[in-house]
Amino acid sequence: MDKNEIKQLKITAYEMRKKVIRMCDAHQAGHLGGAFSCIDMVAALYFHTMNVNPQDPKMEDRDRFILSAGHKCLAQYSALCQKGFFPEELLDTYGCLNCKMPGHPDMKKLPGIEANTGALGHGMSIACGMALGLRLQGKKSRVFTILGDGELAEGTNWEGAAIAAHYHLDNLLAVVDNNGLQIGGDVTKLMNYSPIDEHFKGFGWAVKTIDGHNMEEIVDALDSMPFEKGKPSLIVMKTVKGKGVSFAENVAKYHFWVPGPGELEQAYKENEEELEAIRNE
Amino acid sequence: MSEKKSFKNALNDCLNEAVAKDDSIVLVSADSGPNSGFKEFITDHPEKYFECGIAETAAESLCSGLATTGLTPIFCAPSPFSVGRAYEFFRIDLGYMRQNVKIIGRNCGFSYNDLGPTHYGLDDIALVNEIPEVMILAPQDADEMEHCFKAMLEHKGPVYMRVHNNSLVVPEEKREFDINKAVIYEEGEDIAIISTGNETEFVWKALDEIKAAGVKPTVIGIHTLSPIDKDAIRLAAKTGKVVTVEEHFANGGLGSIVANVLAEECPAKLRKIAVPNIYCTSGPYDELSHLYGLDPEGIAKTVIEFAKE
Repeated sequence: MDKNEIKQLKITAYEMRKKVIRMCDAHQAGHLGGAFSCIDMVAALYFHTMNVNPQDPKMEDRDRFILSAGHKCLAQYSALCQKGFFPEELLDTYGCLNCKMPGHPDMKKLPGIEANTGALGHGMSIACGMALGLRLQGKKSRVFTILGDGELAEGTNWEGAAIAAHYHLDNLLAVVDNNGLQIGGDVTKLMNYSPIDEHFKGFGWAVKTIDGHNMEEIVDALDSMPFEKGKPSLIVMKTVKGKGVSFAENVAKYHFWVPGPGELEQAYKENEEELEAIRNE
Repeated sequence: MSEKKSFKNALNDCLNEAVAKDDSIVLVSADSGPNSGFKEFITDHPEKYFECGIAETAAESLCSGLATTGLTPIFCAPSPFSVGRAYEFFRIDLGYMRQNVKIIGRNCGFSYNDLGPTHYGLDDIALVNEIPEVMILAPQDADEMEHCFKAMLEHKGPVYMRVHNNSLVVPEEKREFDINKAVIYEEGEDIAIISTGNETEFVWKALDEIKAAGVKPTVIGIHTLSPIDKDAIRLAAKTGKVVTVEEHFANGGLGSIVANVLAEECPAKLRKIAVPNIYCTSGPYDELSHLYGLDPEGIAKTVIEFAKE
């Protein structure tokens, strides 16, 4: 993998983080924590892996991305904006009446959104249906979905996991954003679904575990899809909730951020510093 | 009107005819495909048949995903499971996403008369009617099943068709069919009877007794519950008294739909023949039907008494 491309992807991910902060600034609230734990993966998907076209969002042979953990949508909105699906000014409408970017994605409002997620436990089986439908029609398109680790307690994920393996959907790649925290605290203390990798292997998935903030590892994993021919691929991605804003990192209450005094300024400042540091690498 | 056709044979024939013309149709099953009457399709088109195991929720999400790729999924399962169990997945993945998916809730009402409330579909109209932009169908005879099946596929968007276990009457004469229009079987001046689905056959059977008592009814059959034909309800209201008949809870079904139109547009007295909102008992179908006044005898009794009040 070209080092310059990795560096550019890292810059893109922090530029996307800046857009997320901007949306939280506009609305004075937003699901920050989960957006920042998965955003490096989202950047790699949109700017390295997926075949999508902002000039033709419904392009027939496009790859599909379903954010099953729909509350992380600020990460996807920022990617779509950065990619050119809509102008930057729209970011400042986040949270407004009739805005195109609701608190959970709406495919009828914003180009580039493939499914209306937000109620957890839906994305996996929707993704299975997409993967099956595309394969039936001889399409080479691939399907990607990101799940939350807390989301795995929704039993429908496991129905979908079984279906994906049963139908040998190797055009499907799922990512579990394993940041270890959900709104109520430690995921494993609330309901322990670990070891996540072993559970998916048991269903018949090919699994890789990576550092979800290491762009080289992210890209390597995505480039090796399918991990095994005839099996769906799963990435268990170890991440930090709120990654990129020091006061929010690994703190459950920043699952949903209502900026306190000085927090926005600090978030913008840290983002600029990190961008500068990456540019100077 | 003595000839009958099983709902499974009717569905099978409808699907085979549709598949011959429409390459986009795929079938999704939650261990419910063969029992829905789709054996021929499963044998002839195995590549288009997706078994999910006993997992109605995932099956409906899967349908949504399939539909996003341009396919037309049909998912048929007992109505308590295709609607009640999978409700949030119906509401969001099919409704909110406006996907072109066709859900058939078979064995609705207390079709599974000996299996009890876990297997009764007595709230399906109420539940689905709360999901915006979903067409709701309930064919009343074998011809209407064919028409409704075609209309279901022609409509681009989510459709719910409720189907009872009772065999369907094959009408001796073909009627004109309009998916947006209720069927006006007869017009009278004393009272109006509005029924839907399997109950319409019982209304026909009750008519001789009703007329023998000197009551002249308007008789209306509803195959499309949403969008509802308000003109037909306005016609019914002209008699001043309306009776609704359905194998569904009294709340939220045909009776409630009719009541809303009457209250807002054309006030008339209303009596609902339906299942009370209880965990109703199990037993032989005819006896259950009689218990709740849904058999021809019960319908005639209610209509005659109401007409003479």
